[in-house]
Amino acid sequence: MGRAMAERQEAFDDLLELARQWLTEFADAGAALQRPARKARAAIPTEEPLDVVHGLPPIPDRFTVAAADGSQIQPDRHGAALYYLINIGSLVYRHGSGEAPEAKSESMLGYTEDDLYEDGAPVSGNLLDIRRDLGELERLVEVCESEGSVPTVALVDGSIVLWVLRDRPAGARSAKVGAYLEKLDRIRRSGSVVGGFVSRPGYNEVTQLLHLANLGGDTKKASEQQNPLEHLPDRAVFATLPPGARSSLFISPKEINQAEYTRQGHEVHFFYLNVVEEGQRPIIARVEVPAWVAKDDDKLNLIHGATVAQSRITGDYPYALARADELAYISSQERAALEDMVATALIRAGVPSTPSPKAHYKRLTRRGF
Amino acid sequence: MSASDLQVGRVLRASTRGFALGCAVMQPEIPAFGSFVRAEGQVSGQAIYGLIYDVSVEDDPFVRQFIGANPPEEVVRDQRENRQIPIEVRVLAVGCGDGETIRHCLPAQPPVTLDWLYQCNDEEVRTFTERFDYFRLVLEAREVPADELLAASLRVAAAARPESEREGFLIEAGRELVRLMAGEPTRLEGLLRRLRA
Repeated sequence: MGRAMAERQEAFDDLLELARQWLTEFADAGAALQRPARKARAAIPTEEPLDVVHGLPPIPDRFTVAAADGSQIQPDRHGAALYYLINIGSLVYRHGSGEAPEAKSESMLGYTEDDLYEDGAPVSGNLLDIRRDLGELERLVEVCESEGSVPTVALVDGSIVLWVLRDRPAGARSAKVGAYLEKLDRIRRSGSVVGGFVSRPGYNEVTQLLHLANLGGDTKKASEQQNPLEHLPDRAVFATLPPGARSSLFISPKEINQAEYTRQGHEVHFFYLNVVEEGQRPIIARVEVPAWVAKDDDKLNLIHGATVAQSRITGDYPYALARADELAYISSQERAALEDMVATALIRAGVPSTPSPKAHYKRLTRRGF
Repeated sequence: MSASDLQVGRVLRASTRGFALGCAVMQPEIPAFGSFVRAEGQVSGQAIYGLIYDVSVEDDPFVRQFIGANPPEEVVRDQRENRQIPIEVRVLAVGCGDGETIRHCLPAQPPVTLDWLYQCNDEEVRTFTERFDYFRLVLEAREVPADELLAASLRVAAAARPESEREGFLIEAGRELVRLMAGEPTRLEGLLRRLRA
């Protein structure tokens, strides 16, 4: 196993060298690659050279970073009652203020017919994820609209490209994305900046672009020939970024980005960023921003600098996001307490409430002695 | 038990001499040394009374990350004011009750793991300290800072009384200590000095 791992690492290093060689070789081919990249669903180049490196920009003495994260309890048909819970945690961190950050947890219990069903489909899985994502963004909108003139960055955990399952009707999918984009609009109007922070990103959209570039932008050939960089994540290619520096900007090739976000002025751009201090091993994150941030140098520099400042508090991950996750977390004791509260409320209301036989016997057999 | 009972935490381990509990609390809510607490006994209506003699802040991996990193003031204040701190509290058992009377003695049985421990309210503290028989249990306990604990508990008990009664209560407690510790004048002097502080 050890030998196999060593061989694999050697092959990986060779591919990495090849990818970086292509990044330099095709650095100025971005304009010619834009159209084929869209077609091939590879990272879409912007006007910046592919291999450009932007050092850490200066940041204001005082600025605010707001982060939100969510967690949920899925409806359980084996439980005493059908309900779900969404918990949104958020932290508003005012850099340079010396103040304690504002920590908040907000819960939303869904139990009515309107809460539990949407166009006849039960609200669980992806539908519940979307409600949580909208809840996270709504909290960030509230903060951005109340922060006044202080430069403010709203950080989302993960991508800002909303994930909506394809099994939803086209109109319903569009409405979901529309609701999300409306919140991005409100952040834009507040004068704040918004971005999604993706830790240890696994995307290979830039390596797909490099494969396409090596084939002269020929999308047919690119789809027929195996991409030698297929298993190489973009973050590995950008591990040479100096501490605090970001990569070139690219545009997300996701279909929903092209179809919905672009049309409404929020086309999602991204860059890779080395968040660590000088002398540390690189930690590469991906930061996604809407077009109106990507095309405004001041806003882009603010989110670049603020994300690094936040990450350097912990060493490698935005402090506000770590705390928002902690505030959103629903522990097993809290789940149990909520179950008890729901059962008590049902008894008081005279509604018979019993778990399913399956749930009942699971509890009996797993209790132990 | 009343609805206003303040839960301190759940019992982690217990013996008839005392017990330990674990909880996560905000910094202003950390239970105080010398406070009176009560756990439910194993029989309904029974209570076990104790004195908090040790409060330790447990290791927190998130906080550990900032040790030596000179974190910004905002982080220090966030950790202190917004985050719950995992603590372990140790309690010396000093009495038990059956719902009608309180006796200053070790309980026949310890509380059970995961039982709630409650902070005694002023009325309970006044009732418990109407007599001073628990002094001997504290003074003879080897694993606790006995003199400090007794002095702290008497300050708590005095504070639970109207201001006009506090001095008289402490003088009575002092007399009882003189009776109990007549053979240990140096220790007695130190304890009385602590009471006056």
